[in-house]
Amino acid sequence: MEIRRQVELEAPPAEVWEALTDPERLGEWFANTVVLDVRPGGEGIFRWDDGTVRHASVEVVEHERRFAFRWREERGDTPATAVEITLAETAEGTRLTVVESAPFGPTALAGEWSWGLELLASLPRLRRLAHA
Amino acid sequence: MPEGRAAAVFDALADGNRRHLVALLAERGSVTATELATVLPVTRQAIAKHLAGLRAAGLVVPERRGRETRYRLTPAPLGEAVAWLASVGAEWDERLDALRRHLKP
Repeated sequence: MEIRRQVELEAPPAEVWEALTDPERLGEWFANTVVLDVRPGGEGIFRWDDGTVRHASVEVVEHERRFAFRWREERGDTPATAVEITLAETAEGTRLTVVESAPFGPTALAGEWSWGLELLASLPRLRRLAHA
Repeated sequence: MPEGRAAAVFDALADGNRRHLVALLAERGSVTATELATVLPVTRQAIAKHLAGLRAAGLVVPERRGRETRYRLTPAPLGEAVAWLASVGAEWDERLDALRRHLKP
């Protein structure tokens, strides 16, 4: 299953790319300290002041267009999830799309989990109807 | 959250008949395999198989009532799957807000 978000940013792709991939810039908005080797196979460590640490492994680097990595939290037994960020230039700046997907649920579900959410969202309503 | 359980839930719900079945269970509270067979366009055997799949995912529980077995929905695992989606989504909402503020001159 996966989660997808899309935002319009008032900055050109070059600037957004730098904010997304430069460890120092990432340390200003994403995490508290960031170590990141931005190339396929490169490792990354994101640390937050609350003690959270995430380890990342870079998978795709397409300059100013696509950045993909897998990451997992250091604590707990949560499996790694895949994050893919894509940038597209727009008249106003940049359209950023981020997809984070978990390695559970059959791959056939990727991109069409929304039925699941629809169904799940309808359950309370269905239950109310059932008890009416 | 127990990711393994969310995985089982989404696997179980990957099938259209099983989703239909879950919706029916939600609507009716509890059903027997026989009742389901009159509503769903599949065989009794297929219904038994789907119920077993949903049961394995922790989504339905059988209850013996006299001579019949009624199946009831246990929505807790669904809640966990939704919780995963909601928490990861909320994290990205926050991060993207932070990115937007960061990019503002």
